Amino acid sequence: MKDLVRILIGPLVWLSAFSAVYGLHGVACAFGWADIDAWGLSLMRVALTAAWLASLAVLAVTVAVLHSRRFGSPSGFVRGVSIMTGWVGLMATLWTLFPVVVTSTCQ
Amino acid sequence: MLAGAGAILALVLGLIALAFTRTGPGTERVWIAGMGLAFPLTVLAALLAYGLFVGERLLPRQGADVVSVQAEGRQWAWSFAYDDAPGVVTEDVLHIPAGRPVDVAITTVDVIHSFWVPRLAGKLDAIPGHVNVLRIEADQPGRYRGASAEFSGEGYADHEFEVIAHDAAGWDQFLRGGTR
Amino acid sequence: MRTLERHRRLQDIWASERGWKGWTSSVNHTDLGRMFLVTSFFFFAVGGVLAMLIRAQLATPHSAFAGPELYSQFFTMHGTIMMFLFAIPTFEGLAIYLLPKLLGTRDLAYPRLTAYGYWCYAFGGTMLLVSMVLGIAPNGGWFMYPPLTGPIHSPGINTDFWLIGITFVEISAMAAAVEITVSVLRYRAPGMSLDKMPIFAWYALVTAIMILLGFPPLILGSVLLELERAFGLPFFQVELGGDSLLWQHLFWLFGHPEVYIIFLPAAGVISTVLPVMCRTTLLGYGWIVAAAVALAFLSFGLWVHHMFTTGIPHMGLAFFSAASTLVAVPTGVQVFAWIGTMWKGRPDLRLPMLHILGFFATFVMGGLTGVMVAVVPFDWQAHDTAFITAHLHYVLFGGFVFPILAGVYYWLPHFTGRQRFFRLGEVAFVLIFLGFHGTFLAMHWVGLLGQRRRIWTYETSDGWTAINLVSSVGGFIMAFGLAIVLIEVVLCFFVGRRMPRNAWGAGTLEWAMPTPPPNYNFASVPHIRDRDPLYANPGLPVQIARGDGYLGTPRHDWRETLTVEAARGTPDYIVVYPANTRLPIVMSAVTGLFFLSLLIKVYWFTPVALAGVAVLALRWVWVLGQRQDRGPLDAGLGVSLPHAAEVDRAPGWWGSLFLLVADAVLFGSLIFGYAFLFTVAPGWPPPAWFEFSLLELGGGVAGALAAAAGMRLAIRANRRGGSAWTGLAIAGAGALVVLLSLAALLVRTPPPSGHAYNATLFVLGGYGVLHTLIPLLMLGFLAARVSRGFVSAARRAELPIAGLWVDYMAVVAILVLAVAHLPGVAP
Repeated sequence: MKDLVRILIGPLVWLSAFSAVYGLHGVACAFGWADIDAWGLSLMRVALTAAWLASLAVLAVTVAVLHSRRFGSPSGFVRGVSIMTGWVGLMATLWTLFPVVVTSTCQ
Repeated sequence: MLAGAGAILALVLGLIALAFTRTGPGTERVWIAGMGLAFPLTVLAALLAYGLFVGERLLPRQGADVVSVQAEGRQWAWSFAYDDAPGVVTEDVLHIPAGRPVDVAITTVDVIHSFWVPRLAGKLDAIPGHVNVLRIEADQPGRYRGASAEFSGEGYADHEFEVIAHDAAGWDQFLRGGTR
Repeated sequence: MRTLERHRRLQDIWASERGWKGWTSSVNHTDLGRMFLVTSFFFFAVGGVLAMLIRAQLATPHSAFAGPELYSQFFTMHGTIMMFLFAIPTFEGLAIYLLPKLLGTRDLAYPRLTAYGYWCYAFGGTMLLVSMVLGIAPNGGWFMYPPLTGPIHSPGINTDFWLIGITFVEISAMAAAVEITVSVLRYRAPGMSLDKMPIFAWYALVTAIMILLGFPPLILGSVLLELERAFGLPFFQVELGGDSLLWQHLFWLFGHPEVYIIFLPAAGVISTVLPVMCRTTLLGYGWIVAAAVALAFLSFGLWVHHMFTTGIPHMGLAFFSAASTLVAVPTGVQVFAWIGTMWKGRPDLRLPMLHILGFFATFVMGGLTGVMVAVVPFDWQAHDTAFITAHLHYVLFGGFVFPILAGVYYWLPHFTGRQRFFRLGEVAFVLIFLGFHGTFLAMHWVGLLGQRRRIWTYETSDGWTAINLVSSVGGFIMAFGLAIVLIEVVLCFFVGRRMPRNAWGAGTLEWAMPTPPPNYNFASVPHIRDRDPLYANPGLPVQIARGDGYLGTPRHDWRETLTVEAARGTPDYIVVYPANTRLPIVMSAVTGLFFLSLLIKVYWFTPVALAGVAVLALRWVWVLGQRQDRGPLDAGLGVSLPHAAEVDRAPGWWGSLFLLVADAVLFGSLIFGYAFLFTVAPGWPPPAWFEFSLLELGGGVAGALAAAAGMRLAIRANRRGGSAWTGLAIAGAGALVVLLSLAALLVRTPPPSGHAYNATLFVLGGYGVLHTLIPLLMLGFLAARVSRGFVSAARRAELPIAGLWVDYMAVVAILVLAVAHLPGVAP
């Protein structure tokens, strides 16, 4: 069972981060964060960017943990696959959430 | 986009055809890391960036000469109202000035419809309780066909309308109560 | 014991009843897999006829063939049948038939559940067929968008058939998903660690997990919409605080993963068949596993791309546009791994290979148009035109039907024990391939010219006449080809040369048995050392038949198999399956009565049917008991293993765990719906919040915690040889307190038809009550088991199962009470 978790964890973290950021985007638009100023940017942009960077950090840690001798799988095969799916999670977070820094927010 | 898709299709089918004639390098490195990962990532990144750029440009931004109209769908007709001519309502015909950006505020009184004038812009849905704004612009005066593009029951096939784009003089005349 | 004697003994133990009666009482996966496949291909034919009707109508402008009302039923039922009654059940049937054979075991984890799932599918499908025969079939499109499908705009019974019938059918999908997950993880031949699993098992596992996560949102959506239609709970009515967009989110949260739920098993077939056709092994096994997992998860981040035109802000669209392009990458990895496999081996143009080539050409084109519509501005034009219809048929026909036909021809000798005699399949392939591309290439074109989906007719002046005619002619050619396939498959059961064992020269275990397969699959369970056991050890079939593996000696008329530890594949415990029974068909009939009472609005009967289901469920679990400790049993090859009743994590525990995962997704979707209406629906905040009560909230939370603690106490006391009674009593009392506080929530909720907020609270409360009644029933059951001597310190397996459900109740109760009470005190 632990090995199954190791294989699924990377994409699962991505899915949570993706849903959370999309949810945050909805809430932020509903409460008008796009028009609140924070350090020269909109509060919305700051909050979403922070959430994105935090997700990236969590996934980077996940990949490192899957590599580690202590938490990584004892089976070479599962180790290899789980590291691959861990990278999938990290790359997917980078790829699917980068719009937080480039596109218009609530239009 | 079509040419690119055709090229990729030809590449894939070519590789499959070649497999019947020769036994080649069967390494994971070439096939999976190279063809499977690097190749699509490059193509897709370019495509995504292009799509987002165009999408940004199509957004309704504020501007001096933007005309605002309202579109209200129902089974199976459209009513249009005009900010510049309060009280005027036209049925199944939307009048707009040519050469100026027009913001259409879209909603519905019953089920979901979709406002679509293929030659002027993409489509946007009319959803109960929500108002969606679509930016359209006609370069030339003329008549453009529009249709609802969301299945709405029995009368769906005939749920169509027309957009008339006027030149500057015609638009003035419309606002003053001329062509209705 | 001699080989023939072993065969006879096992045959006696595992045989189904003879004749048609055997169909109603069989719990054998080979029988049920065949029944699933025959039924699903029957529905494929029905859906195909509907497609022909659609094409006949659109062949000419102003066709007088069908009016808009009938035409709406055609396309709604075509989509519904192909998705829910053909594609998903075909996967289930194939997996049910193949998995135990591929994994080297004798049956799936829950044989009776297999049968229950089949009958739910058959009865639910029949319900939809009846609606079609009566001319009152669903007519709102297979996506069922409200308000069009709501009580105001669709007052007829048509929509109810969809919501209730499909939910009934979905039970079979959930049952199969739980069963496949547990079977792949635990029911394998010893030695088969994760890296030695046949690739199809990986795909089946990933697909099953996707069904567990993907179907609950649809089931929830259907329940909510039916509640709105039947009792006026306004979840999707904007005037009363609902929002029709909520349905679209719930539907596509299911609907996009659904596409990959359909594609992944087909990819599993290709990964299995292609290497055999190329006389080699699969290139990049680990990469393919990782790609399948990646695809499964990424597909959950795509649902909004069906809603690009609903006015969602550009940033929201950008997330989903990015995810939609990214999902092409793991697909690309798989496609190139397959092409690499072809380069590595020497491909042979045998019939399954032809269909795989058909898959490549068609699916790659579908994928490329898919990437096009992932680009938002393009989609704004193409959305809801025939271009999309063409795209999705390239993906689904290319990505599912071609691979499945390859699989049908590959495993046909296994199903029937015979080889094809007439060479009809090659002709059929050519007709299908040309017909398909004729139909749908044309449809891309007419879509770009502006023809919308779902219109029942068009004008001559539109200029679409010639293209539509080409499309219709192509459709009929394709139908002709598919009919030939059907004829050939039926013929093969009666005419054909006997099949030599393993005629394709494959390496997987399903070919290590005689064909057609015996009911027990393997005379003894082999020990696995390689991914392709037959390549490594061609003598394996003989060794299996000789009884050289595990469980080679039949014992007590038991249908025995053994389970393994999930990752390493070391033997874990022995399972004794229940024998033939009509309980599954009876229980699904009573389940059907429950749904029927809702459909025809005979509500007094609904609780009666529910009670009937509960009674049958209790009988279901009661018959499995044991009254004596058995200790370690000999499993052969010098290994002794405990009986499944004498372990901590019995099959029932694993099944409950995965069922609860799906249940938790349903609950999560409900909470999502609450949050969505809260932030997005125009009619919020509601007129009044639910009034806070410290007594109800505090009491409920305390009861939930006490119940969970009580079960732990009971489990621990029993294991030490003490009495479980104190713990069970505490758990029962705690659950009753929870029930009271949830009942108070239901009673004090303002009329649920007044506002979507009230309706949401009502459903949350109802969900909580249901999930308190289930563990209460289980606690009553356990009490009876303890007093009748079914439980001992060794026979402890049933306690943790109830413990799991009590824990789930505790979590649900605390969350429900919190989201109901807390907004009332917030500033």
